[in-house]
Amino acid sequence: MWREYSSSYLKNNRSSGVSVMAAAFISALLLSLLCSLFYNMWKYEVERIQLEEGGWQSRIAGEFDEADREAILNFANVREAVLGEDGVALYFDEMGDVLSDTPQIAAALGVSEEEVTYHHELLAMYLVRDPLDPSPRLTFPLFILITALASFSLIMIIHNAFAVSMNGRIRQFGIFSSIGATPRQIRSCLLQEAAALCAAPVLLGDLLGVLASMGILELSNRLAQGVEGRHPAVFGYHPLVFALTLGVTVITVWISAWLPARKLARLTPLEAIRGTGEMKLKRKKNSRILALLFGVEGELAGNALKAQRKALRTATLSLLLSFMAFTLMQCFFTLSGISTRETYFERYQDAWDIMVTVKDTDADSFAQTQEIRDVAGVESAVVYQKAMASRVLAQEELSAEFTANGGFSQAQAAEAMRTEEGWLVSAPLIILDDESFLAYCRQAGAAQSLDGVIILNRIRDVNNPDFRHPQYMSYVEEEDTVNLYASGTGEGETARGAAEGEQETGMGAASSARVSVLGYTQELPLLREEYATENYYELVHFIPVSLWAKIKGPIGGAETDTYIRLLGRDGATLEELNAMQEEIGCLLGPAYVFESENRIQEYETNDEQIQGMMLILGGFCVLLAIIGVSNVFSNTLGFVRQRRREFARYMSVGMTPGELRRMFGIEALAIAGRPILLTLPLAALLTWLMLNASYMEASVFLAEAPYLPVLVFMLAILGSVALAYCLGWRGIRKISLAEVLQDDTML
Amino acid sequence: MNILTCEKVSKVYGSGGSQVTALKGVDLTVEKGEFVAIVGASGSGKSTLLHILGSVDKPTEGRVIVDGTDLAGLNPTQAAIFRRRKVGLVYQFYNLIPTLTARKNILLPLALDKKKPNPDYFEKVVSALGLVDRLDALPGQLSGGQQQRVAIARSLIYRPALLLADEPTGNLDQKNSREIIDMLKLSNRNLEQTILLITHDEKAALAADRIVTLEDGRIVGDERRR
Repeated sequence: MWREYSSSYLKNNRSSGVSVMAAAFISALLLSLLCSLFYNMWKYEVERIQLEEGGWQSRIAGEFDEADREAILNFANVREAVLGEDGVALYFDEMGDVLSDTPQIAAALGVSEEEVTYHHELLAMYLVRDPLDPSPRLTFPLFILITALASFSLIMIIHNAFAVSMNGRIRQFGIFSSIGATPRQIRSCLLQEAAALCAAPVLLGDLLGVLASMGILELSNRLAQGVEGRHPAVFGYHPLVFALTLGVTVITVWISAWLPARKLARLTPLEAIRGTGEMKLKRKKNSRILALLFGVEGELAGNALKAQRKALRTATLSLLLSFMAFTLMQCFFTLSGISTRETYFERYQDAWDIMVTVKDTDADSFAQTQEIRDVAGVESAVVYQKAMASRVLAQEELSAEFTANGGFSQAQAAEAMRTEEGWLVSAPLIILDDESFLAYCRQAGAAQSLDGVIILNRIRDVNNPDFRHPQYMSYVEEEDTVNLYASGTGEGETARGAAEGEQETGMGAASSARVSVLGYTQELPLLREEYATENYYELVHFIPVSLWAKIKGPIGGAETDTYIRLLGRDGATLEELNAMQEEIGCLLGPAYVFESENRIQEYETNDEQIQGMMLILGGFCVLLAIIGVSNVFSNTLGFVRQRRREFARYMSVGMTPGELRRMFGIEALAIAGRPILLTLPLAALLTWLMLNASYMEASVFLAEAPYLPVLVFMLAILGSVALAYCLGWRGIRKISLAEVLQDDTML
Repeated sequence: MNILTCEKVSKVYGSGGSQVTALKGVDLTVEKGEFVAIVGASGSGKSTLLHILGSVDKPTEGRVIVDGTDLAGLNPTQAAIFRRRKVGLVYQFYNLIPTLTARKNILLPLALDKKKPNPDYFEKVVSALGLVDRLDALPGQLSGGQQQRVAIARSLIYRPALLLADEPTGNLDQKNSREIIDMLKLSNRNLEQTILLITHDEKAALAADRIVTLEDGRIVGDERRR
C-alpha cells in the first residue's frame, strides 16, 4: 500500500521532489569530491615517500649474503628482499604482517630485534602503527574528522529540503495515522520515498565528484608545475573508495531524511490533520527596517522571514558566507596583486630579464662572463656573488643626520653591537665582475678603479614604518679607507685588528682587511637585490671581484652560489627571453650546476598561480552559494503547500495580488540583500585595514578594485533568489481563496 | 435602503458528470443595519453564498450588488480591495495572521490602505470586544474566544458595509459562543453594522432579526423576527 501510495504521489508531484533531489545531488557531489581528493592525496603521499625514502617496509641491519636473501624469500609473506651495504630491505605482500613477520625473519637470521627498523611513515599510510613509533600520524584521523564535519554540515543543510517536502503532506499522514498507521509505518514510507527520489542524484553526484577531483588534480599539477622537488600527481581511483563514498553519502542523506520523518511520524493524528506544523512566531518580533522601508508588506515579509528562519538558516548562512568569502578573496587578491606588481615586477622590471644561479661557484673562479655577454640578445650581464663582512663604526664616523635621527638607539643587539671602538654592524659585500664594477663606478661618479670599494651610504629612516615609500638618509661620514672584518668577529677581535694596523687594500689581522673607498653613493647598481630590508643597519659595500680575490682569505663569509643578472633589449618578448635562456643553458652546459629564472615567465607563472588559486577558492564560494540558493529554491517550491493558508489569509483580509507580489519581492530582496548589506561594509573596513597595513594608497586600489566580479556575484545571488521567488509566486498566484476557505483545515 | 442585492445567483462547480450545483437562482436583499442569519444543513450552499457575497468566489449566473458595487465586474485586485473596504469576513477558524500581534491583525485592512485608524473608534471596538489587555499578544498566545474577538474587531475596523460571519462559533465552547453572538448583536445595535451570519446553531440564529433558510441551494424560508 505504501509503495503504491508513494509511487503514485511521486509520479503526480514531480516538482515537489526537485529540491530533495538537488540536495541529495549536492551532498553526493561534495562528499565524493572529498573522498576522491583524499584518496589521491594519500596516493600522492605514498608515492612521495617511496620516491624519497624507498618503498621498503622494514629493514634488518647487518651483513647478509645471497643465501640469507634466499632464506628470507622463503617466508610466505615476503615479496622482495634487497641486499644493501647496511643490511637487507624487506618488501611484504601483506602490509599488516610486517610488524609480526620481521622479528621472526631477524630471529631466523640470527640477528637481534634491535637491528630491525620499520618504515613508520609508509606503514602509517596503510594504517599499520608500531606502538614504538612516537610520531603522531594524523592523515587518517584528519580525514575521518573532516568527513564527519562535512557530513554533519550537509545534514544540517539538506534536511530542510526533506522537511519541506514531507510537511507538505502532513495532513495526509495525519489521516493515515487516524486510521491506524503506526509512526514506524509512516516513517518507513517517508524514507522509502526519500530513497526513491535520491538514488539517481546520489549516483550522479558521486560520479561527478570523481570527475571534479580529477579536474582539481589536473589544475593543481599545472599550478605547481614550477615547484621544485614535486612529482606530478597522477589521478587514481579504487573501487573501495567508491564504496566508501557511496556509504558516507547514503548515511548522510538517510539521516537528513530520517530527522524530519521521525518528527512527522511522532505527530498525533489531530496535530497532523490540523497542520500545527505551520510557521509561527513564538515571540513577538518587529521588522522595523522592512516596515519602515516598505510599509505593511515589508512588515509582513519580515515577519514571514522570521517565522521561516529555521527553514532558511542554510540559505542565510551559505549566501552570507559565500558572498563574504568571495568579496574578501577578490579584495585580498587585488591588493596582493598590486603589491607584488609594485614591489617586485614593476620595481625590477628594468633590473633583470633572466637570473642564473650558478651553484657552488665563486665569482672569482667563474670564467664564462665574457661568453655570456656575447650571447645574442644580451644587452647587459653582471656576474656577482654575495658575502657578509662586518664594520665597526665609531661615533664620529656616523653622519650628523643619522645621529640626529636617533642613531642606533632603536637597533637590536644583533643589528648593531656596541663595542669599545664603536658600533659593530653587518657589511654585506656585493662582489661584482670587474667590468660591471667599473660601469658602476661611472654610474656612482666614483674614480674608475679596481682597487677599492664603493659604499652604499644610506640608511632607512626607522621612525617611518611605511615600507612602500621608505625615506633614506646618509649613514656614515666619508673616509678614504675602511676596515672590513670577517662576519661574526667579536668585540675584542676588532680592537686587535685595528691596533695591528693593516695595509691599504692589503691584509691586516687574520680576520680583517683594510680597503680604500672609491666613493660613497646612494645610487644602486642595476641588480635584482634589495638591501637592508630586514636589518636596516647594514652598510652595503660593492667590491670588484679582483679585489675580492685578494681579501677573501681573511674575510670569507661568501655565499656558495654566484649569480648572473642578464638584461635583453627593452620590451623583449617571452620567446626572446626563452631563446636567450636556452643559449645560456647550453653555454654553462654540464660544467656548472645552475638554475635560471625568466622574468616574464615568472610573471606569467605567478599570474597563473593566482588565477588558479582564485579559481579554486572562487569555486568553493560558488558551491556555497549554490547550496544557499538551492535552499531558497527548496523553500519557495514548497510554498504552495506550505504557505497557502497564510496567503489565503492575506487575501481574505483584502490584500491585492499586487501587494502579495510586492511582499514576495521584499522577502526575496531581504534574503539576497542581507549578505550584501552585511558584507560590503565589512569588506570596505577590512580592505581599509589592509590598505593601511600595506601603506598602499586607496586610489591605487580603487582604480583596480574588483567591482565587476563582485557585482556579477551579487547579481547572480539576487537573480537566483528572484528566480526562486518567481517560481514560488507562480504557484501561489494560482491559489483559489474559495478553495482554501472550503478546506476545513484552514486554521 | 438595500445594502445587499442578490439576483438569481447560481453557482455550479465542476463539469460534465461531476457537476455540482451549489446555488440555484438565489434572490436575496438585505437592508442596511439588518442582522440576518442564514441557516441550512451541511451542503445547502450557505458557505458558497457567503464566498460569493465576500467576492471570494464568483457566481456562475446572476448578479450580486453590495453597497452599490456589482461584484461580477471586479478583477482580482478590485475584488481584494472590495474585501478590504466593503466587507468584513469572520471565519470559524479565525484566520488571523500568526506573525502579527492582535493590534496589527485588527489594523491590517487599514494598514493595507496606508490609512491611520481613528483612535476613538479603535478604542471603542477593542473595548467592546474586551481586547484592551491582549492587543500585544500573538494569535498563538490567545484563546479561541479571544482570537475570534480579534477577527471580529478586524472585520469591523474598516466600518464595512457588510459583516459576513461564517460559523463564527463553530470552534468555540458554549460560553465563548454566547459571548461572540452577543458581541455581534452589540455591533449591530451600537454601530448599525449590517451582519450576515451563517450558522447551523439554532440558538445563534435566534439572535438575528431575520432568519433565511437554505436547502439544496435554494432559499426555502425567510422569516423576519422583528
